Amino acid sequence: MTTMLGRLLHRGDELLSHILSDRPLGRTLAELTLLMAVSAAGYGLVLGMWHGTRLAAYDAIKLPLVLVLTSTFTVAFSWIAAQALNVPLRFAQVAVLTFLALAAAAVALLSLAPIAWFFTVCAPAPSSATRMTHNALYLMHTTFVGACGLTGTRTLWHAMTRLGRARSTLRRVYLVWVLGYAVVGGEVAWALRPFVGSVSPKFPVVFLRQDALQGNVYEFIGRDIVPYFWSRRRQ
Amino acid sequence: MNDSIDLAPREPRGVLGTLDELLRQPRAGFARARAGMPVRAWTLRAIAGTLGCWSLYGAGSGFFAGGWQIGLAAVKAPLIVAGSALLCVPSLYVFGLLAGAPLTRARFAVTLTGFVGMLALVMAGLLPIEWLFSVSTQSLAFVVWLHLALWTIAMIFGTRFLRAAMPEVPTGALMLWIALFCLVSFQVTTFMRPILWREPNAAILAEGKLFFLDHFKQALR
Repeated sequence: MTTMLGRLLHRGDELLSHILSDRPLGRTLAELTLLMAVSAAGYGLVLGMWHGTRLAAYDAIKLPLVLVLTSTFTVAFSWIAAQALNVPLRFAQVAVLTFLALAAAAVALLSLAPIAWFFTVCAPAPSSATRMTHNALYLMHTTFVGACGLTGTRTLWHAMTRLGRARSTLRRVYLVWVLGYAVVGGEVAWALRPFVGSVSPKFPVVFLRQDALQGNVYEFIGRDIVPYFWSRRRQ
Repeated sequence: MNDSIDLAPREPRGVLGTLDELLRQPRAGFARARAGMPVRAWTLRAIAGTLGCWSLYGAGSGFFAGGWQIGLAAVKAPLIVAGSALLCVPSLYVFGLLAGAPLTRARFAVTLTGFVGMLALVMAGLLPIEWLFSVSTQSLAFVVWLHLALWTIAMIFGTRFLRAAMPEVPTGALMLWIALFCLVSFQVTTFMRPILWREPNAAILAEGKLFFLDHFKQALR
């Protein structure tokens, strides 16, 4: 795993040449998956620690799971989209590129773990009086995950520019892939909630909520969030 | 900032010489790191000078309360900067590498030391102004705003240094890291409170957890 970390950070060009060659990619995929899982687990520990060790342990499992499930759900579509948009990548190459982007994002997230840890340690313990702290921590984690996701897709874009295709074609494939990750990743994360944990006693610490698959994040936004802001605007 | 230094210049002597070089030829350290010359001694001298400058700045801020607080602030100020830098080191390194910066251990050490060193030098230059305002006001809110303004000025110079040190990293990403460094430094300051003002016989380190925005709100009241 440390070898793959070194290749990802210091010898990225060599890694990309390997991925885009005709060589078998099974070992590379396994190493990238391991690196991604360990890095995401490290950040997951910090993500859940505000609510204690139980949620920290749950998040150390759930955060890698979000990444693995997101890439598993999107890889077939990503491959078909690439073929349809005239970028002839092998299925294994699409899978490895997907995991490469997610591994880069996970390593970037892990590098932010000391900062997230420090802010969490300095935060007052969860209670109904610490809603603002909850929101601030939530905002921090969401920003970190979003920024690292973008960093990961930048690695993906860097890889795609080496394919020797027209930039407009590559841009289309890239956008379709990133959109796929974002839409599916949002839902997978929603289904696997809680991550930060709630300050309301109505929502205790659990691995998965009972209503995990009852409704999705986009229904929630359309049904609850948008009407809430709309009503506030009209007041 | 002199951009024309590309050949590896001779290493300066002593802590003051190192700080002087950092100020006049900020890229000299990179040139030596790129040329494969050892940078360990330079880094250690720069760190010593940086901590000294921060200690002086801290002492200057302690003049607002006077007495023991001068010494306490002189100890706490370098700890705040060192703590913030330590927490932010991994992210600067990983984001720099992912952005394509060819960071060797030596080049990264020079970059990070140079960044905090540049902040320290600017703050040391602002020391007389800080002292003047600290001894001539009794308003804590005014002094808090003053330190925020001085910190912003130092950050502008620090950002300039970092951009020259890591040109491969997009400016937007660098600015985000700088913003993150600022937020972390605010929280470390809150963790190390009280710094500017301490009630008589109060503890050297306040107990209880506090978010930096709440801390600033209390200080500005």
